[in-house]
Amino acid sequence: MADPFMHVLLVEDDLVLADGIARILRGHGMVVDVVNNGDDADRALTLREVSVAVLDIGLPGIDGFEVVRRLRARGSTMPVLLLTARDDVQDRVRGLEIGADDYLVKPFAAPELVARLKALVRRSNPRPVDMQVAGLQLDPFSRRATVDGQVVELSAREWAVLEYLMQNASRVVSKQQIIDAILPWGEEVTLNAVEVYVSRIRSKIASAGVTIKTIRGFGYMLEPVAPE
Amino acid sequence: MNPRVTSLRARLLKWLVIPLVALNLLAAGVAYWLAWIPAQTAFDQSLADTAWALVPHMQESGPSVELSLSQQAEQVLRVDHFDEVYFVVRDARGKTIAGDLDFPALRKPEKLNAYTAYPALMRGVDVRAITLRTLVGGETILIGVAETRIKREQLKLRILWSLLGTELLLLLLVIAVIRWVLARGFQPLQDLREDLARRRTDDLSPLPMEATPQEIAPFIRAMNDLLKRAQDSSRAKQDFLANVAHQLRTPLAGFKAQLEWLQEHHRQDDETAHSTALMLVSTDRMARQANQLLALARSEPGNFERQRLGRISLDKLVSESVQQFVQQALSKDIDIGFDLQPTEVQGDGFLLRDLIDNLVDNAIRYTQAGGEVTVSCLTVNGCGVLKIEDNGPGIPDAEKDKIFTRFYRLDRTQPGSGIGLAIVRDIAIDHGASVSVTAGADGRGTLFRIEFPPTE
Repeated sequence: MADPFMHVLLVEDDLVLADGIARILRGHGMVVDVVNNGDDADRALTLREVSVAVLDIGLPGIDGFEVVRRLRARGSTMPVLLLTARDDVQDRVRGLEIGADDYLVKPFAAPELVARLKALVRRSNPRPVDMQVAGLQLDPFSRRATVDGQVVELSAREWAVLEYLMQNASRVVSKQQIIDAILPWGEEVTLNAVEVYVSRIRSKIASAGVTIKTIRGFGYMLEPVAPE
Repeated sequence: MNPRVTSLRARLLKWLVIPLVALNLLAAGVAYWLAWIPAQTAFDQSLADTAWALVPHMQESGPSVELSLSQQAEQVLRVDHFDEVYFVVRDARGKTIAGDLDFPALRKPEKLNAYTAYPALMRGVDVRAITLRTLVGGETILIGVAETRIKREQLKLRILWSLLGTELLLLLLVIAVIRWVLARGFQPLQDLREDLARRRTDDLSPLPMEATPQEIAPFIRAMNDLLKRAQDSSRAKQDFLANVAHQLRTPLAGFKAQLEWLQEHHRQDDETAHSTALMLVSTDRMARQANQLLALARSEPGNFERQRLGRISLDKLVSESVQQFVQQALSKDIDIGFDLQPTEVQGDGFLLRDLIDNLVDNAIRYTQAGGEVTVSCLTVNGCGVLKIEDNGPGIPDAEKDKIFTRFYRLDRTQPGSGIGLAIVRDIAIDHGASVSVTAGADGRGTLFRIEFPPTE
């Protein structure tokens, strides 16, 4: 699987939800530890670091905010995603101020949670990992793309655009986000140029079982072709 | 309305006007007599003058008295422009010396050289008569003069009419003044009524107490007390709603996570995949209803806090929800598009997200598969504008006002609670924004246009 080393600490007091998330994350090849209250979470985080923590805010014992506060007080930079049933502005602001990295309101879609966790881990850990969607695989070390094992020739720009789309698989990204992501090359890129790259990429990976949908007036979304 | 409803104004008017009319009639009667009595006296005096005028024409003749009056002089006496004049001269024994023989009986005045005046009947006609008692050469003589009442009646009528006219005019003026005074006096009540009539059904803010007359202040205080209690109870209900909605989210999230796992692991089994897909749709619908409950509680004008307003970028706000919109649209095979120009408005981000979410959800829900939905925002003359357009079936003109009413649903075959557009309206009102609904670009579909006030 894509992320063999991803270790998640899940802190959620609702057992049905905790069980569901844990199974979904394990299905994505992650190692998941589950605890059901704030004190256990604090203890677990003191004992060992994990790749990312998923923390419910409303917990028995000390709440999610306090767990994050203590974690940051110990100097840890481990990424934390808060889960909450409330979407009040105060909760969101407070969570991010205290040092949480992301925020998801219940109920959420599993792919959204998985994508955000991967993004958090990628950000905290710059070591590139292989990415795969259906028959399309990207190897960041060799900067090589393969479709069902066959190497696909991509220009540097095309590679960068595809890498970004793969990192955000099943999520809508705007053209501007694509430009911002590939800008480290330093040159000016127009929105039209992005369209050109995407259409070239499409024709090169046509057989991979992957589609890049156009979101009119906004951007693109790469996802596996839905089974008929 | 209850037909027995009474008007304080009408009551006051009635109770003021009835005694005023009575007083006026009394005053008119007094004025009539005050005007008529001197006139009557003057007329009687002129009859007495006629009697006196006969005296110089009388002289003693033996035991009796004679009147020697030339034809001409008699004519002068008898001529009057309006009335017939009659006279008679009788001695103390009642024997007629001269004049009209059929003159009615004379009433002898008590004093000498004085006259009495009285109504009498002469040749079947009402007349006014006087009797003068005087001495002619030691002999007591009674002279009667009478005249018909034509000019007296005329004068009476004139006095009556002019009095009635004046009194009527006065009465009308008084009523007008009273009405004006009452209207002014009742203005605070009128203002109160208008204030209440103008309110939205859910506006429970207290009535203004400044410049309230002390007579209605206790009433307004009691009313405000009632409003306060209604507001507290409505807020408690909204808090309860919000709380329930929040409590629902965790079990829903658990349910959804389990279903997603099932879906993932039974992809190959068509029957199971079909059923998990349906359950996921239902779960999403339940989640949406829970969110609508929250949005409803949040958008209530009573809960709206102006201090939470900040500069919000509409394009960013829409961008943040694009993922959700795209997923919704793709699941219904609808082509969703965006045209997001940088657009800043003054507002509450959470409420505006609810507004956008409801409009887009509505458009996707009511547009047929294969249709198009376009979300755009732009700035027109300094005002932020949000547009959601679809090429769905459109909304009939007659329904356009009703769709913003709570629990009103245009198409009952579609799932929904009928509060989405009511929430949109509430949030727009909170932001001082206007909402318009028209047909789409080529006359088909629906275009919702929200125009915000200019940001300073």
